[in-house]
Amino acid sequence: MNDFYIILTACLVAINCAIMGSFLVMRKMVMIGDAISHAVLPGIFFAYIFSGSTSSLPILIGAASSGILATIIIEWLTHKAKLQSDASIGISYTLLFAIGIILISKFGANADIDQQCVLYGELEYVPLWLEPIIGNFYLPKQTIILLIVSVIVLFAVIWGYKGLLITTFDENYSLSIGIGVGFWHYFLMSGVSLTTVVSFESVGAILVIAFLSGPPAIAYLLTGNFKKMLVLSCAFGILCSIIGYYLAKSLDVSVAGSISVVIGGVFAIVFTATTLRKSKIDVISN
Amino acid sequence: MKTPIIEAHNLTVLYGRKPAIWNVDFKLPEGQVIGIMGPNGSGKSTLLKAIMGVINPTTGYTKLYDQELEKVRHKVSYVPQRQEIDWDFPASVWDVVSMGRFHIRGLFKRLTSEDNDIIKESLEKVNMLGFAKRQISQLSGGQQQRVFLARALAQQGELFLMDEPFAGVDVATEELIVDLLKDMKSKGKTLVIVHHDLHTAQSYFDHLVLMNTRLVACGKTSDVFTDQILTDTYGGKLTTIAKISQELENKEFPIRHR
Repeated sequence: MNDFYIILTACLVAINCAIMGSFLVMRKMVMIGDAISHAVLPGIFFAYIFSGSTSSLPILIGAASSGILATIIIEWLTHKAKLQSDASIGISYTLLFAIGIILISKFGANADIDQQCVLYGELEYVPLWLEPIIGNFYLPKQTIILLIVSVIVLFAVIWGYKGLLITTFDENYSLSIGIGVGFWHYFLMSGVSLTTVVSFESVGAILVIAFLSGPPAIAYLLTGNFKKMLVLSCAFGILCSIIGYYLAKSLDVSVAGSISVVIGGVFAIVFTATTLRKSKIDVISN
Repeated sequence: MKTPIIEAHNLTVLYGRKPAIWNVDFKLPEGQVIGIMGPNGSGKSTLLKAIMGVINPTTGYTKLYDQELEKVRHKVSYVPQRQEIDWDFPASVWDVVSMGRFHIRGLFKRLTSEDNDIIKESLEKVNMLGFAKRQISQLSGGQQQRVFLARALAQQGELFLMDEPFAGVDVATEELIVDLLKDMKSKGKTLVIVHHDLHTAQSYFDHLVLMNTRLVACGKTSDVFTDQILTDTYGGKLTTIAKISQELENKEFPIRHR
């Protein structure tokens, strides 16, 4: 049963990240996921101070708002201060992350924040906190939260598909027909923030970025249709999670690390295959 | 002039501290093909973007049909510069043209069969219906431009603002666009086109806006396409101007002698 819990958790993270990541990759801003997963620290600290508890909900809200704050700062630096977008990302998240570290080291000596866990996650420990669902059916607490977020993400993307698509594809044209580009930017950023925050608690920052960028990049190589890209990147996310889990089990290594490696490997295979196929077509057409 | 279709008042756009357009004032008539011309970096594209609300002017304002843009947006179609988007985006020709219907139908409603007919018709007008399922990454420059035009046509507007539709397109596409412009003009549409090729200006446009950050001239092509105004517009690039007027003379265009 533990296998099932861990794989299910990884797959839910994979699906959420693949969907958000597909939009981020096409907007050339996938590293914003990295920024958010670090910028959450001050939010977690304040949520802990004000609520006095380490229970999930206040922490989650604190972390997500701090993540959204990071995206607002990044957006402001890029558009109002005319700074390059990668420089804006670098400046804002390191600042927020550092503020978080200072606050915790000064005032939160007893705060329950583990650096290891932030980076590599605790996928292996997910089955330790089980909650009863129906009768004899139990699910880990993390998995339940992820399931809720998956439902939110899916509904949000289906509801806002056209707005997200057109503002991702052609911002100036969207503005010309009166679409609120800013609204859709922050709509997406809220989704990314929520996804990143709940995901990195279970799988760690590294795997979140791997899931945000890897499966969408693989899918992008294989299709020329954005809807198919969304579906394919979810499928590749799930596939890599399953392979990665059993690889980790057989080699007795970190699950998050193993899944990240599998994503990289699958990308290399797909990239080679599509490149070979293209050069073959070129030869034929010549 | 009857009610002007576009008017700009003291329009200034600053990028940082550098003005892209400075204190521009003009009125444009309805039902004509209007060219906006000037050297590189003279603010032509910025002017279109300011009119369409893509960027906010630093001072001044524009009116369309004597109203705020927001009230007449449904009548106005914008064709951005083709280089502004990523043509490797995973989308088909049909996907892109259907975006022209998104806002008319509403972002949260499905496109109807009426929309599909309009999309089909727009593709037919630019001779791209056979390419509807084609990946946009596999299009030539001219085909990309046609897709952008079809998307604007699908909006079924009255006023079209096009940013460099003739830049880097093949001869067939250029001819197709010229025919399309004539056809649209005959249906009473107004076309405002950012253009850079002085050779074709006289034959394409009824009306010209000549600018170099500031407005140099605005009027009927026959009135403003003169040596003096072109020299004022293009400033230091006199050799180019000289070459062009020479060529125009060779073609026996009636332009004033130096």
